[in-house]
Amino acid sequence: MLDGLLILLVFQLAGEALVRWLGLPLPGPVAGMLLLLVALLGHSFFSDRVAPAANILIRHLTLLFFPIGVGIVLQWDQYAPHADALVLAIGAGTLLALPLVAGLLRLMLGKNA
Amino acid sequence: MSALVETPLFGLLLTLGSYRLGQWLYGRSNSFPLLHPFLLAMIPVAAILLWLDIPYERYRQQTLVLEFLLGPATVALAWPLYRQLHTIRRVWQPVLITTLAGAGLASGISLALAAWLDAPALVLGSVAPKSITTPIALEVIPFTGGDAPLTAGLVAITGILGALLGPPVFRLMGITDDRVRGFTLGLIGHGIGTARAFEYSERAGAFASLALGLTGAVTAALLPWLWPAISGWLQL
Repeated sequence: MLDGLLILLVFQLAGEALVRWLGLPLPGPVAGMLLLLVALLGHSFFSDRVAPAANILIRHLTLLFFPIGVGIVLQWDQYAPHADALVLAIGAGTLLALPLVAGLLRLMLGKNA
Repeated sequence: MSALVETPLFGLLLTLGSYRLGQWLYGRSNSFPLLHPFLLAMIPVAAILLWLDIPYERYRQQTLVLEFLLGPATVALAWPLYRQLHTIRRVWQPVLITTLAGAGLASGISLALAAWLDAPALVLGSVAPKSITTPIALEVIPFTGGDAPLTAGLVAITGILGALLGPPVFRLMGITDDRVRGFTLGLIGHGIGTARAFEYSERAGAFASLALGLTGAVTAALLPWLWPAISGWLQL
């Protein structure tokens, strides 16, 4: 668990340092994720140790962003003037995107099966 | 008493207790998406904060430790991606094309709809990353000018809607391929869609995890870079 957390924090730091150093328009932790993916593919040292910490963080992801998300209710008066746009964008947007993505992948897999 | 309410202990206990209660009810409902712990836990947390007159910003300060863990959690997403990468070895081309086109569609359709109703820049910047996993979405909004609470809420609601609407859409389209069902749920509904995909099968879950990681990575890599052009089109 502790080894895994150490690896995650080291790669987050490496990602943050890399994007700052190169001035990349990329979030630091995402760069850290890509670096860790390369490391996992490269050496079993990482895959043997990262799993316990990674699994526990991913399993409880909703809990981690919950306090930020409560703001949508507690600050609703700020967002209420745009309620129509939000409902349409999220509701209709999701309903339209679902069949398009599913249909596209079915088509693509059919050709490559 | 009032001093105790000011401590991180209070905010964390309120959050963990409410979330655990929500999780329990969600489990009892056989994981019905509309009873997701994100929605259920909001009720006691919002009610108690309002009742005790604790401002939202202070509650967020109290629970900062959870927010901090979103960074290592993003890095941790490399793990399921690594574990599932072999599942697409033979179909990596269609999967990659669908990821790029699908991430663009999921974000683009919602952006266009919001822009059509004259949503301001703050709302558009929050809607753009709505289909990617929350930790990455929150890291992308500094580039798109979105608002953190709005983004976190929209991402969670998108996941819940995806998990709710995905299965009937697949039935209507006659889709029974678990690769397609899983990947679509993960691409549109990130973590919440992925949890739903695991109810189909391990294989659907593997494709969903993969879609979650790929869509997050692709969007995080492209959206900050494309945003100046997109906001130009939308005339922000």
